[in-house]
Amino acid sequence: MASRRRTLLKVIILGDSGYVNKKFSNQYKATIGADFLTKEVQFEDRLFTLQIWDTAGQERFQSLGVAFYRGADCCVLVYDVNVMKSFDNLNNWREEFLIQASPSDPENFPFVVLGNKIDIDGGNSRVVSEKKARAWCASKGNIPYFETSAKEGFNVEAAFQCMAKNALKNEPEEEM
Amino acid sequence: MHETELHDLSDDSDYAASQQQASGSIMRCDLGKSAVSEPNGSEVVYSKDNVTIHPTQYASERISGRLLLVKQGSSLFMSWIPYKPSTDGVGYMSRSSNSCPMEKDRSLYTIKSLPLSDVRSIRRHTPALGWQYIIVVLSSGLAFPPLYFYSGGVREFLATLKQHIFIMRSADDANVFLLNDFQDPLQRSLSSLELPGVVSVANRASLRDSLSSVTSADNSERVNQETYDGSASTSEYSGRHKHKAYDPARDLSIQVLEKFSLVTKFARETTSQIFRESHNNGFSPYEKRQQNNYASPNLVGTRPNDAQKNAGVTTVASDPLEFDKLPLVWGKQRETPLCLEEWAAFLDSEGRVVDSKALRKRIFYGGAEHNLRKEVWKFLLGYHEYDSTYAEREYLAAVKKSEYDIIKSQWQSISATQAKRFTKFRERKGLIEKDVVRTDRSVSYYEGEDNPNVAVLRDILLTYSFYNFDLGYCQGMSDLLSPILYVMKDESESFWCFVALMERLGPNFNRDQNGMHSQLLALSKLVELLDSPLHNYLKQADCLNYFFCFRWILIQFKREFEYSKVMRLWEVLWTHYLSEHFHLYMCVAILKRYRKKIMGEQMDFDTLLKFINELSGHIDLDGTIRDAEALCACAGENGTACIPPGTPPSLPVETDMGLYPQDDDVL
Repeated sequence: MASRRRTLLKVIILGDSGYVNKKFSNQYKATIGADFLTKEVQFEDRLFTLQIWDTAGQERFQSLGVAFYRGADCCVLVYDVNVMKSFDNLNNWREEFLIQASPSDPENFPFVVLGNKIDIDGGNSRVVSEKKARAWCASKGNIPYFETSAKEGFNVEAAFQCMAKNALKNEPEEEM
Repeated sequence: MHETELHDLSDDSDYAASQQQASGSIMRCDLGKSAVSEPNGSEVVYSKDNVTIHPTQYASERISGRLLLVKQGSSLFMSWIPYKPSTDGVGYMSRSSNSCPMEKDRSLYTIKSLPLSDVRSIRRHTPALGWQYIIVVLSSGLAFPPLYFYSGGVREFLATLKQHIFIMRSADDANVFLLNDFQDPLQRSLSSLELPGVVSVANRASLRDSLSSVTSADNSERVNQETYDGSASTSEYSGRHKHKAYDPARDLSIQVLEKFSLVTKFARETTSQIFRESHNNGFSPYEKRQQNNYASPNLVGTRPNDAQKNAGVTTVASDPLEFDKLPLVWGKQRETPLCLEEWAAFLDSEGRVVDSKALRKRIFYGGAEHNLRKEVWKFLLGYHEYDSTYAEREYLAAVKKSEYDIIKSQWQSISATQAKRFTKFRERKGLIEKDVVRTDRSVSYYEGEDNPNVAVLRDILLTYSFYNFDLGYCQGMSDLLSPILYVMKDESESFWCFVALMERLGPNFNRDQNGMHSQLLALSKLVELLDSPLHNYLKQADCLNYFFCFRWILIQFKREFEYSKVMRLWEVLWTHYLSEHFHLYMCVAILKRYRKKIMGEQMDFDTLLKFINELSGHIDLDGTIRDAEALCACAGENGTACIPPGTPPSLPVETDMGLYPQDDDVL
């Protein structure tokens, strides 16, 4: 009974790179505490509401994660392909998330990794290769990997689709 | 029927006379002599000295007096007569000419020959720490402010009452004593929930009686009410039961008592008016206020019909969760901002602020005109001493300018080559640059590409991160600095004002987040004290960490109001007039305003966070300040006790460890 299944997915975005899909505007402000927006995604004839959480990026706010990550269905780790440190930090973010959110099955908790800002300087300032990123993702239990450019919205939709698919796969069979 | 007996009493001439006297004493407090000098036949059965009310949190504004129970014929009266202050009383000295005179407060709070037949209940508070106090709630729903028994004697007071009148301990709360409540238990417990507008039969009748205004129309109405009493009251309150799942009815009754005690301070000023209004149209003044409140636009979560409620609607209170519609707006009417003439009058010929407390009070109640902020904020923030002269301040500005330049040069002198080997500096600078370009860019002062003021923001924050290297830069700081620079328009002066602000708010940004955690904990205690049903709701919804208020507290509501209102609020908060932690009472006030929605929609943490975030731009500032003022005055000592010493923005306690504890991960 598809209609009885949960279609709201809580997605946490983490990483040094900042949020992927927010275009610059006068109203754009750094997130204090946490906030989320919702996005409808259709996957295999099912409609999902993604609740996309943006939390304060700075490390010293991480202790808030306990409350904000609670009940997450998916965690998106974002790094900037032009900044090595943001890639190096992916592991910290992943581990911190698992500590704070303490999901019931950490080994199989669905992550997605986004290599962001591939459009910058025509790709000339890129320091993290796709190969390197994919290797890391493979080593962490085959985390799905996407390269995105938030500015052009490139591949962002595909990433969201993947989150829905991921969550669906992870969803316990609860047929009536 | 008990009701019948009650009404029969009103036919008794003695009773009617006492009621008449009662209404007189309520409507015109200045009439009549005190109870001690009552005419023949009166007998003082209880007398207690040093019974004190706390109009504000300031010890100097407390009013002590004598509490008396006087028996006259078969009736018992309660009086509380404040002592005459000595002319050189401490409380007087600190008061400015434009503050309300103590004398007015004294007569305002005086209780003269209140017949105990007008009292619905007395709630006793016996905190482990601090003074015992009682809250006297009238049948009309009004309550007197807490009476603190400095010399003890609450038990004796209640025992004396018991000897003379029928008094019953509430089944719901051992600390609540019911008087004149002869109705069945269900009705009794339900009636303790009610709003003044829907007073139960007996109370409605006694209110009219007390006003000596029983017209024939009223009589027939009363007969109807009596006829319908049993069933009518059931249906009248049935709406409440549907919330049983989490209905905190028990706590709510207490909540109501507490709430009405808030009312008193301000309501007594208009008591006669209130009674006149009740009399005239049977419509409670509370609901009138409610309409006023809801007539204001921008109230999120207000259903259209809320704003359209008219005087004919008496079902407003049929649902206990509707209580949040009863606005807490009992704080003083907001004043116009401090103007130049007034400001000049606060200064002596050499520029000293003569009466800083009066100034802070003035700004607390009205803020300051924008063109005065540049000067006034420096005092409020503690950058300028109140007793400094024009000359001293001018000198200070020059000294501080060069001091600023020196600190600034510390990072300015870092070359590109050096920066390559200085990761921490690069990261800090990068973080600051990322934040200033998204700070208040819609404010014209920071608008547009390559705005030089944005660069000044960056320079000040980077300089601060060298001035206070341990704390460094943290997101949120740019929000705190932006209005300061906007007001000061001067880099060095802005920097030092920001430094002064961060002396108090720095712990908000500590790596271990202890400053935030202590404030969130204090907030949860305050809500528990001031709104226990909401507290219980948040508890069962697993929301007691109050992280949904994180943004409010971290940056002093900077994101919650439009720019000009943020400046108004900040100067009010910075006066520390009623409390250093007035911002926490602001939090309680906002939560109380939306408590019905929060509880009614059974919001979970995520939903609540979203709801709170989206309140931004929709909160009525003046109303909330007034609510917070009332809450702060009501909470009094108990509120203060919820907030441990050193909780920001109190100045932190300095230790050998330094002010900003480090861990390995310094950014």
